[in-house]
Amino acid sequence: MTSTACDCPAFLKCDAQSLRSVEGSTPRILSKCIFSLEEETHDRPLRITYGWAHAAGLKEVRGEGDPTRNGICYFYPEETPLDKQDLLCGQLAGVGRCVSELSSSSVQTLRLRRCKFAIRMKEDFFWALGCSMEVPSDSVCELLDHLINLFCFYNGSVRQSYQLNSKESLAAEWARYLFHVLSGPSELHYILRSLRTIDLTNVDPLLLLKAALILQACQRCPLVLAGCVLFRGRAVSTQMPPQLTMKVMVHESKTYTKTQRLSEASPPSSDGGPVSSTAVFLTPSELQYLQAAPVDKTSRSHSTQEKDAPPKKTRLSRTLSDTPSSESEPSHPVSRQSPQKLSFSPHLSGSEDSVFSPVPSQSTADSPNPSPVSPVRPFSNGGNSHETVEKTLDESHYHSFHSSGDEVSQIHNEADGSVFEENLYLNGGGLGGDATCETSFEVRGADCGNDLLRDDQMAAGEVEVSCSKVRGHKAETKWPPPVSCAVDSLEESPLIPMMLYMHRVNSLVLALLVEPRFMSDTASMEEVNHSSLASLNGLEAHLRAISPAAPGAAGPYLFAHYDSIQSTLTTNVSGRPGGAPEHPFVRATSLLHSHFFDTETLQEAIIRSAGTAVYGTRTVAHETYFQQHGGSVRNSGIPNQQDSAFSLPSKARHRLLKHRVNLL
Amino acid sequence: MKCLLIASESAEVLFHWSDLEYRQNIQEKYGASQEEGEGLPAFEDILSTLFAPIIISCSTLEDSYTSFTTENNHIYVLHQFDECLYIAVNGDGKEKEDDLRRNIYVLKKMIEVMFGMVTLSGNLLRKELRPQDTEQRARLWKYLQSLLETYSLLRENDQSFLVEAVERLIHPQLCELCIEFLERRLVQQLNSSAERAGEEVLHAFVLVHTKLLAFYSSRSASVLTTSDLLALIVMAQNMYPSNLDLDDTSPEDVESTSGSGPESFYTPEPSPSSRGSSGSEKAGQGEFPVFEFVDPEVQMAEDSLHTLEISPPDPSSPRRVFLEVSQKDGLYPMMPHSMYCLSLWPGITLVLLTKIPTSAVAMSVYKYLEDFDKLEKRLHEGHGGPASARSPLNIYDIRTKMDKFIKALGPSELQSAYLQNVWTEFKNRAFSKGGSGFNKELIPCCKNMKTQLCGIYRRYFLTGSVSTDPTQHLSAGLQERAQAMVQEKLMDWKDFLLVKSKRNITMVSYPFFHNIPSPYKDEVRADLTYLEDFPGLVHFICVDRSTGQMIAPSLSITERTTSELGKGPVANYIKNKVWALVRTTRRYLQKGYSTVTLRDGDFYFCYFLWFENESGYKLQPLDIPVQPDDSPPVGMLAYDYYKRLLRYYSKNHKGETVKCYELLTVHLGVIPTEIILQHCRQLASKLWEPSRNLLL
Repeated sequence: MTSTACDCPAFLKCDAQSLRSVEGSTPRILSKCIFSLEEETHDRPLRITYGWAHAAGLKEVRGEGDPTRNGICYFYPEETPLDKQDLLCGQLAGVGRCVSELSSSSVQTLRLRRCKFAIRMKEDFFWALGCSMEVPSDSVCELLDHLINLFCFYNGSVRQSYQLNSKESLAAEWARYLFHVLSGPSELHYILRSLRTIDLTNVDPLLLLKAALILQACQRCPLVLAGCVLFRGRAVSTQMPPQLTMKVMVHESKTYTKTQRLSEASPPSSDGGPVSSTAVFLTPSELQYLQAAPVDKTSRSHSTQEKDAPPKKTRLSRTLSDTPSSESEPSHPVSRQSPQKLSFSPHLSGSEDSVFSPVPSQSTADSPNPSPVSPVRPFSNGGNSHETVEKTLDESHYHSFHSSGDEVSQIHNEADGSVFEENLYLNGGGLGGDATCETSFEVRGADCGNDLLRDDQMAAGEVEVSCSKVRGHKAETKWPPPVSCAVDSLEESPLIPMMLYMHRVNSLVLALLVEPRFMSDTASMEEVNHSSLASLNGLEAHLRAISPAAPGAAGPYLFAHYDSIQSTLTTNVSGRPGGAPEHPFVRATSLLHSHFFDTETLQEAIIRSAGTAVYGTRTVAHETYFQQHGGSVRNSGIPNQQDSAFSLPSKARHRLLKHRVNLL
Repeated sequence: MKCLLIASESAEVLFHWSDLEYRQNIQEKYGASQEEGEGLPAFEDILSTLFAPIIISCSTLEDSYTSFTTENNHIYVLHQFDECLYIAVNGDGKEKEDDLRRNIYVLKKMIEVMFGMVTLSGNLLRKELRPQDTEQRARLWKYLQSLLETYSLLRENDQSFLVEAVERLIHPQLCELCIEFLERRLVQQLNSSAERAGEEVLHAFVLVHTKLLAFYSSRSASVLTTSDLLALIVMAQNMYPSNLDLDDTSPEDVESTSGSGPESFYTPEPSPSSRGSSGSEKAGQGEFPVFEFVDPEVQMAEDSLHTLEISPPDPSSPRRVFLEVSQKDGLYPMMPHSMYCLSLWPGITLVLLTKIPTSAVAMSVYKYLEDFDKLEKRLHEGHGGPASARSPLNIYDIRTKMDKFIKALGPSELQSAYLQNVWTEFKNRAFSKGGSGFNKELIPCCKNMKTQLCGIYRRYFLTGSVSTDPTQHLSAGLQERAQAMVQEKLMDWKDFLLVKSKRNITMVSYPFFHNIPSPYKDEVRADLTYLEDFPGLVHFICVDRSTGQMIAPSLSITERTTSELGKGPVANYIKNKVWALVRTTRRYLQKGYSTVTLRDGDFYFCYFLWFENESGYKLQPLDIPVQPDDSPPVGMLAYDYYKRLLRYYSKNHKGETVKCYELLTVHLGVIPTEIILQHCRQLASKLWEPSRNLLL
């Protein structure tokens, strides 16, 4: 039995079909990719094996004796013998294809006895990421998606990348992303995939606020979408959704390690100065999120307003944040902005429609949810002061109005409502209920003193739900598919090119997602630079001054607190080599996490083996796991209220307060 | 939308079971890829074509597949047993991965039940599962399919099949009466009758639906394992299905499934060594010329089976079942028995298990199979090791015994002649050079021997005239008399029993009613009900894993009957929760967690597993081994997980009888946790107090 690719007609047929439909005369590319993550016992709990297959078309496959080999784009570990790569790629791809045909749906996971694979099949590409049995399947799937998304973020569409670049150079890219994904500090980070943030316990909250203000200041520039501040490869503050921040951090970590290496070799950093940039690609939903985020974008609207600003806006823009921006921005020539506007609107209208499709709307609803311990969302979490909250809210309304006004309102009147309503939802979700919504109205009402207006908006919002679909269609027909920036019209969602701008001050990095024009717009660059440089230096000095917390002062317990909305993980599990005592906790966490994932109604659980008892609890936003060390009185397994396992909930409540985890 | 199939390594479908929806789905898939105008081939051929890439890939990879999932939530579970690949598919979300794996193991158990030690030879089993004759094949598959359907229905509706333990009717007086009757009257009379044709009744029991009213084993009988008993209940239910919604089953229903050929029972191998034996035995079949000898004989045997099938089924002919027998010198799996299933009334069945006169042959065959397997393993390990140093000693012993055995079989039988030939060849090779013939070249001979031994076994217990000849089993008249005797005895209780089996105990019953030895208990004592004693308790299940018996308030949710949970959505909700809880706790148990508490919605669930010694002293818990995801399902029917757990635990408690208990409870979420735990503790101690052991 050589390879299923030859024995399996279904497999070949399917590829042939997809090839025919995708490409005409251009070189046919049939691609597969395998990763597999194998368990290693010692220093690193997990190791990924991963590969890319890249095969030729149908005829070539038949002609050559060894088709799979040519199809492998990347395989990790790279030193795997080619025969083994061949076998694994060929078998997995063949079986994956067969099962997909049988079920009329693509394969998601594929398990062997000692290893499980997440599988993705898109067009004629095939990815597989394997890992040890202990990692929950959902986490492996997420990890694979994240890898693919990373690739797309930095390279654009997979198909086009492989048309334009050599397999070898892209293999290096995959290796880089994989390395980054695998560099998580502990096994827990594979199970609860999270954003790495700075340790909040000994950071002055004012510094976080400062970082947030820097970002806000940068956003005054209309070409800046959103940004984040990173310190030593960890997030200090971000305006982006966690998934996007994670993507940005990959680039940062690369330059960080580079500068570190350089600084070790030769003290002055000569890496082309502190400012760098790279092309990135956003998905429509990401872009939509960023544009819908409650930030002050007066300036952006300002420039176009000159043409069609509705009178309402002037009334609404009487906010604090508004004033300086309108002063600082007018330098932007309208003529330069309007073509950009035009090329962008199609995406907007398309993506706005997707607000109502389940996935994006969920992400937008979830993401801005600030938690009391949030380190990374200071614009809403500036949350320490009432004023900021109110201001943010106000701004968000304000923004929503403007964006609808200048971009969509000319298409259809209800557009106003749609965006408005969405923002209501955002705020409601974010600050926990109707009460907040109410407040925001009051604030706004007080600001403009116009109750009538509010009613109008409410009505519009209500109407909108029903006709959103129609509007979406209209928008589509009105705006042809955005060929200019779509990378591949056959991709599920066209990616939008953007730039990632980075400004490094020693270990601190300001990363901004900017529109491509930004890099050529010296005025904007200067302005951003100007507004942030001093503060960045100050912030860096402060952060550097903080002594890293003494590691290992773990205490007689283990815990993990996961914020599923902000994707942050607070834990005292170190993941250091020799962390064997932590293993039972990680295992239990993994089990409980997948149980929580499967059972929506499950609120808390205690599981106990002879030696270990672990308590897990979750709310809509958080999952917390707790295990008490030692002193575990060996019970006899029978129901017994004296069993120490049953005191875990109260102990967790008590102990975790110290870590700013409130389980009450 | 489900399917279960067995395929050989060459992608031949040996058995399949699927529902209409899946069949249509598959046929559409196949039709789409075919030319117009051609009729669809047989369904099994379509399956074989479509699944071929998976099946072939399975044998290509070193590490075999265990499961696939797709984006639309189709689940595929695969398991390779020797040369047979089992694939279970679900596309409607009603079954989870562990259900599918359980189905696979249950199917395997049923096949072992039907074909006994023939399952140890891949080639013979393939022929048994897929007879050449299509009519015969259809009949066999239909029977297996109906067994699986019966099982699925029981697992979905019956708590005893949910937790895989036997449930008894809680009525000590009646039970006692009945057991006494079985012992003193029925079995005695049967075993002293001249019409028993050499058979001896070993076990007799009365089932009311799936619940056990009385069970009697004769003194010479070995213990009937829970696994076997559960499988027998599935078979009895399949023969006389009790309609779950209606209490009165029509007689047509009752007779519909009787008489579809002989089958046999098989129990899990008792020890790792013998398990290994079956494994390696089957691994190497099929590549030796010996099958050229065997084939004509197999064909002949099939013909004889065929004639049996065609003749009108004799209602009095028993089913061949293979049960585990424990003797002083060890465990013997798959020992042939005859099973007589006599319907007393719809819903009430008398089952008799007899030992057949030739069962000694089965024991010898098993012993020789084990010997040759050991020998083969030693040869594999190579010479020079300590094994080969010892093996000649053993083999001389085997040689004499084997010679005797073959002599005793007599040369007249064709199959014995084959065995004789292979044995002679073996001896020539092995002993020709003064014992130096024990090297790897002897391995094929060992395999041949094993195949021939399986052939002997098959000849004697599957295709032989034993089961067809009416003079070879309890005569019809004797069976009728037995039936009449028990009917007469239980006549007055009949209706009570049928109701009782639906509401064996309930949350509003008097739990501790039965334990007072006084005949006037209901007058002297007004006990609290479960509901009053444990306010907030919604449901519980208690299982004694050492005896394989369970007790739980009835939870039958049907149109007609109403539990105190009411009927409709609430009762259904709780039922679903209980089912889900059992699945969850098994998952945790598999990963080594023996205590689980969950707050889920408005309910609080607890699960405890613990060990006690015989006097009720609670033993220290032990870290339970963590099992991989594809390990056999936790349960007792297809694979006795708890038996292994007990054995594992007993290693540290030598000389002590270790008992294993499980308790599951469902409480209202508003009850404070301390109270819930207190309830669990009280319930545990009350239910299993030695003095009130309800289960004999």
